[in-house]
Amino acid sequence: MPPRPTAGKDSLITDEDEILQAVILADSFNKRFRPLTIRKPRCLLPVCNAPLLDWTFESLALAGVQEVFVVCRSHAEQIKMAIEGSKWSKPGSGMKIVPIVTAKETFSPGDAMRDIYTRGLVTTDFILVMGDLVSNIRIDEVVRLHKERRKTNKDAIMTIVVKESGAIHRTRPIGDSAVFALDSKTSECLHYQPVIAYPPTRFVQIPRERLESHPEIDIRYDLIDCGIDVCSVEVPSLFQDNFDYLDIRRDFVHGVLTSDLLMKNVYCHIATEGYAARVKDTKSYESVSKDILSRWTFPLVPDDNYPGGQRYEHVRGNRYLAKDNTVVLARTCKIGTNTLIGSSTRISEDVQIHASVIGQNCIIGAGTIIKNCYIFDHTTIGANCILEKSIIGSNVNLKDNSSVPRGCLIADSVIVGPGAKLEPFDRLSTRRDEVEAELPDEEVDSDVEEVEARQSHINKNLGHDSNALVWPHGPLSEEDGEGPENEKNLRFMRIGDDCSDIDISDPDTVSSESESKSSGSESEDDTGYDTTASSDVLPPVKRDANESEFRSEAKQSLVRAFSEGHSIENASVELKTLRMAFDVPLSLAREAVISAVVGWIPIVQGGGAPQRQEIARVIDRWGNMINEIGGVDPVETVTLLQTMCASSDRMPLFGQILAALYQSDIVEEDDIRAWHALPASKGEGHRAEENLKKCWMIGSHMLQQFDAQESEESESEGNEDDSE
Amino acid sequence: MDLDGVKHELESEFIAIILAGFGNDLRPLTSDYGDEACPKALLPLANRPLLEYVLSWLEQSGIKDVLLICPETHRSTLHHHINSEVSSSLRVDLQSLPEPQDAGVGTCTLLRHFSDRVKKDFVLLPCDFIPPPSFSLQMLLDRFRTDIVSDGAAVITCWYPGPNSEHNQPLDEWGPSPYSSILCDALEETLLYIDASEDPEFNGEDFFFRTAMLTKHPRTKLLGGYQDSHIYVCQRAILDTLCAKPRCLSFREEFLPWLCKMNYQSNKKQKYGYVLQPSLNAPQNLALEHSTHHAGAHMLPSPAYATRPQRQPNYSATQIPSNRSANEKSLSLRIGIVLLSAGAFRVNSISSLFEVNRRILLNVAYTLPLDPKDRSLIDSKAQISVDSIVGSSTQVSERAMIKKSTIGRHCKIGKQARITNCILFDHCIVEEGARLDSCILGKNSKIGAMSEITRCITQAGYEVTSRESIKGEKLEVSDWMAPSNFPELE
Repeated sequence: MPPRPTAGKDSLITDEDEILQAVILADSFNKRFRPLTIRKPRCLLPVCNAPLLDWTFESLALAGVQEVFVVCRSHAEQIKMAIEGSKWSKPGSGMKIVPIVTAKETFSPGDAMRDIYTRGLVTTDFILVMGDLVSNIRIDEVVRLHKERRKTNKDAIMTIVVKESGAIHRTRPIGDSAVFALDSKTSECLHYQPVIAYPPTRFVQIPRERLESHPEIDIRYDLIDCGIDVCSVEVPSLFQDNFDYLDIRRDFVHGVLTSDLLMKNVYCHIATEGYAARVKDTKSYESVSKDILSRWTFPLVPDDNYPGGQRYEHVRGNRYLAKDNTVVLARTCKIGTNTLIGSSTRISEDVQIHASVIGQNCIIGAGTIIKNCYIFDHTTIGANCILEKSIIGSNVNLKDNSSVPRGCLIADSVIVGPGAKLEPFDRLSTRRDEVEAELPDEEVDSDVEEVEARQSHINKNLGHDSNALVWPHGPLSEEDGEGPENEKNLRFMRIGDDCSDIDISDPDTVSSESESKSSGSESEDDTGYDTTASSDVLPPVKRDANESEFRSEAKQSLVRAFSEGHSIENASVELKTLRMAFDVPLSLAREAVISAVVGWIPIVQGGGAPQRQEIARVIDRWGNMINEIGGVDPVETVTLLQTMCASSDRMPLFGQILAALYQSDIVEEDDIRAWHALPASKGEGHRAEENLKKCWMIGSHMLQQFDAQESEESESEGNEDDSE
Repeated sequence: MDLDGVKHELESEFIAIILAGFGNDLRPLTSDYGDEACPKALLPLANRPLLEYVLSWLEQSGIKDVLLICPETHRSTLHHHINSEVSSSLRVDLQSLPEPQDAGVGTCTLLRHFSDRVKKDFVLLPCDFIPPPSFSLQMLLDRFRTDIVSDGAAVITCWYPGPNSEHNQPLDEWGPSPYSSILCDALEETLLYIDASEDPEFNGEDFFFRTAMLTKHPRTKLLGGYQDSHIYVCQRAILDTLCAKPRCLSFREEFLPWLCKMNYQSNKKQKYGYVLQPSLNAPQNLALEHSTHHAGAHMLPSPAYATRPQRQPNYSATQIPSNRSANEKSLSLRIGIVLLSAGAFRVNSISSLFEVNRRILLNVAYTLPLDPKDRSLIDSKAQISVDSIVGSSTQVSERAMIKKSTIGRHCKIGKQARITNCILFDHCIVEEGARLDSCILGKNSKIGAMSEITRCITQAGYEVTSRESIKGEKLEVSDWMAPSNFPELE
């Protein structure tokens, strides 16, 4: 059994003054930083020479958080060590940090939340953040608002902190953004739809019914999701109850908002002041670094509330130099604006550095040009190299005359050169050493092995001393991630990639190269609004698989019910559950019931009265099922019956079944008339046209009979209204 | 001579096009009275025809030219009314579409047909809009004047909140008012999407908004419960666009939603952009073109991306074909939107007629007529409550009681009749002891003695016989054989 909150845990939290708790999900649960993250967790990558996790701690400390649980999975030991060594672990830091190591099988934030629940870590409203947050927002204020809201509305379980920006903003990656629908007055989040760049999300779908209870809804596509959620204690338990929730946004928030069972509310807090952003991918790594250097995050800047140990001096033009006077700058080097240089780093003659971050103890050789690069500690760059828009790990040795064009990622301890010419977006790492290869280890997981296996195909000029392993472009092995983690979409989150070769333009909105297509849509345009619109509204939903599976499941379930003689209530409950599980429309369920009922009627040779009795028996027993599945639509029932009969051997029974349905009041006379009047009921153009037509004729006879009856109704009430 | 010329030029900036329809939702009030038509435009509201409200509103805004388009059958009645009773400075040009028409006549058909009569920017408006007192057409026109030069808006629309939760409507049995859901950019005041609410099957359970649109307008508001005032201030070029789309029938249902997309779908814009040239009669244009501050065509590369270049993603900026863009203006071709607060109405259904009348009655104070002749017709023992209107030459007999009602001219109210919450058009006769509650009587209706009718609407000339009791019906004249039905006039 999972451990419940223990006495020890309780003593940490005294009831009278509730302390502010935060949970950091330190793992990224994705591979966007590969190969930088093969020997190091993402949260320990340095951003402006301080580990990302420390920026997150600093952000939380600014909000007055007193107790932090750091949920880590991969490289947990490293994270533990880092926490022990950080300034927050010193007495008097005011913040208590508890690392929680979850199982290796924790593959998603949802799993981590379930782990939090089973461990019973949180006891009150808490702040949930990802381990990649850089923020100076007063989260405590949001917590206060959240608690106030909870006093009046117990169902307000979560407040998402979002930040206003524009639709195109450097810290708002288009590969992984979202549309929020918020109530204009209360900021209640009414709908959440993730938007990804590839395959392009063409439509945003907002349920119509939201407008009924909220007359004014803001639809916002300009919000940066800061990944800061103020959650109530119910949140982890909701994850526990809904084991299929993986992602906090696309599963949990979306699930809570669309569920009609949970009845919980989520609110948004639109932060108008302050800065908050996540280092979700290499692109946002770059933009957050630039934001820090240009002081948007104040006071979280290198010369003020800097989370790393080193102090920096802020010089005109947003240049930051380590304050301990250990930086050696050659007389002829040029240091551009927005640059940070760590301590004990030596910059040689004629070096040019623009808008870059150089770690500690680095050596930059003479004549090298570095633009928009992020170089970690202890790295040596040779002379006359050219580096552009790349991230270079620590202890890298890039020898003379090498060039690293935009988008390259070079993992720790790689040796490249001399004279290496990388191509854009190359990713390099070292091979596994003996020890690692021996271990049945997941830390350096199968990816590296895979890469090693593929080396033979790759010919690159990496220089003769290189120990580098070149990662192939494109996805590794068979898996191409789901949702936003597909290969092309990931390119939108990659440093230095402008994705100009990926066509994400919407053929109906951006003409550009779809000129040919627009000439094709010429006719559509001229037929007027209706057709234009119908081509507009084609929800990109694929249901076929679900539907066929539902059909077979429903059939089995009904046959079982018929043969074992269940009650109608039980059988319909079972069907409703199935329908919910497969998320299919009601008509499909109706179709399933009708086909099962019709199929259950045994065919009596010779027809006549015995056949009629059989039909009456089955319809009496099971007919009501048609209306028990969650909605009554007798016209559709008749239509479905018609199609069912027309395409099966039970064609001759159509009239009798219809009569039986009429007898047991499942369909009324008016319904038959309505069906009869439908243009589709004549079956024109349908492949079973002939049979459909026959059915329609039978319907006509029946209606004639009704008419005749009506006229003589006054005389004889008890007329038989059998159709045949 | 010169002075006259200048004056003429100034006053003719806009032409108003009033569409006076059949008023089918107001049946039976708009059903024919014998051979005589009862146009919606002439239905009395507080004893003034609807058309007069609109005309005086137009007059206040300085518009001089009015093109009034009505059905052929209404033409003579309206013609008579305009020439005999309207006294204003407006030049009203009454036109009607010749009756035999090929299938499908819509507002667009009308506009196309009369497009050669419209030489300048125009205001399209219905005959039944009752503006709130604080709202003048001038506001809309000014908005149009600024928007057309700032970024080339094509149309300015005006929406008002429907009478929703304000009070419970007892009369919605006469048909609900049409609501629409609209999406608009709150900062830019641009209409982006109109929900085609009348087609539930087509719309499904969800709204679908294009991500491309949201990228261009990232901050939008989805509003429910607003109604279209059907007032559109349009560029002249809109008519040319209509002519380029000959199959479009309804301006509101088809053309406007289509035009909404023009704003963010650049292939449409390129296709029709040539039609929608900026209006040349905006007086500041020439000056603004020479201005260095005006973000006109000089600085910006193409019509498609020029309007909001800062929001355009750079990955598509290189793909703009630039063949035609050089000499074109940077038009947004957007639809501006003005949202009114409460108080506006369109008298397009029975319930809104009741509602508007109720609101007018809140602000009236009935006093006995000053004219001695009229005064003598009102018996001293009749009770007329303060919140009522009684037209001239109406006779109210002794101990009749009138509460919260509007009584037309030349009516006769019999002894001890009780009239509550009613609207009586002209020439109605209510005989002794009749009780009317929440009714609208078309003109020349006659209610027999001691009858009791509640929540009924009568067609003009309908007669209720004595001692009848009717509730909640629309009473229509079925038989016009007997001409003696005409009541005698005094």
